[in-house]
Amino acid sequence: MSEFHDDYPSYEHMAHHSEEEGKKTRKTLWRVFWYMLAITIFELVIGSMAPAQGWSGTLGLKVLFIGLTILKAGFIVMAFMHLGHEVKFFKYVVLAPYLIFMSYTIFIVLDEGIYSGDPENRTKVDPILIKQQEDLRAGHGAHHAGGEATPAHGTEHATEEAHH
Amino acid sequence: MSHSTEIDSKQAWDGGQSPFRVSYGKMMMWFFLISDALTFGGLLTSYGFIRHKYADVWPKAENVFTHFPFVEQHLPLAYVGLMTFILIMSSVTMVLAVEAGHRNDKKKVIVWMFWTIVGGATFVGSQAWEWYHFIVGTETGALRHVWSQELHTYVEETVYGANMTVNEYGVPQFANYFFFITGFHGFHVFSGVMINLIIFLNVLKGTYEKRGHYEMIEKVGLYWHFVDLVWVFVFTFFYLL
Repeated sequence: MSEFHDDYPSYEHMAHHSEEEGKKTRKTLWRVFWYMLAITIFELVIGSMAPAQGWSGTLGLKVLFIGLTILKAGFIVMAFMHLGHEVKFFKYVVLAPYLIFMSYTIFIVLDEGIYSGDPENRTKVDPILIKQQEDLRAGHGAHHAGGEATPAHGTEHATEEAHH
Repeated sequence: MSHSTEIDSKQAWDGGQSPFRVSYGKMMMWFFLISDALTFGGLLTSYGFIRHKYADVWPKAENVFTHFPFVEQHLPLAYVGLMTFILIMSSVTMVLAVEAGHRNDKKKVIVWMFWTIVGGATFVGSQAWEWYHFIVGTETGALRHVWSQELHTYVEETVYGANMTVNEYGVPQFANYFFFITGFHGFHVFSGVMINLIIFLNVLKGTYEKRGHYEMIEKVGLYWHFVDLVWVFVFTFFYLL
């Protein structure tokens, strides 16, 4: 042994626990698992019912799904990743920077999204993408299972566009 | 627990101890995960932006992912539900391996690590299967304007499946984001399986038994839970909303 040695505590060894504590921990973990499974099944049921019920794309559904997702994320981070049991300082060091940066990112995207969501502000970046979006908006590119003839503004129209 | 996580806040920063009461390795794993979470956060917000911009022509996930292995019927979202279940399950087996490590129970660590690796590998395989069906597309296909290199103009063509420029199911951006985000996540899962495998072999060899603690399981466990965490968000934004 060298004459220099630090007396820093070794945190690797701190995590040991007894059989009894293990039993308690396992019980909690399984409970969290059942919660998460229940939430996921609930989400899938609501998700598959949504189109028939006309819920698709409604604000309520979005808020519900995002809320449940954040709840599940909380379970994972706090119980599985054990952050709930860390020292308070450490919790803040992990969560605060992330939450600050993400709220800023989401703010910027919402702000810019409102601007560029306006049809007048749509920039024509890539003509082929614009073309395909126009197809879809016109219901032109829908699945043609019935084999109905498509209107004449197919190739000619495209060629005309290319001339401009 | 044999130690106290309570810390006297007046002495915490006086030196001689970690004010966070965590080891260096674990703390660095957390910091890495924060940066990785920011990457995924950025990707998912930009996905949300594009999706809102083209909300009227964005394909619905339940019309795209309708296949289930060995079943002929259309079962929208069933397979991705199963994949989610597998990944959550493997997260549970991972945390049980961590718990067994805290009791220095080598046998249980081996069992739970094994199931974690099986779950992870199954998930990566399922994702490959889903990509395959997305790329191949349906039998009928859909009409789209496609740029022709010979004619130097757009020609109308029946398109099957999705790639980076055309998408049978809707706007190409959907395919772009799907490939990029699920691909990036899938690569994380793949790396996680590899890292878990290495640690698993070390457990078998008795490396951590000699070391006196199984903290390494905890560190790879953090990474593995993170992969599950990202999937929870990908699942919501790509398949549910």
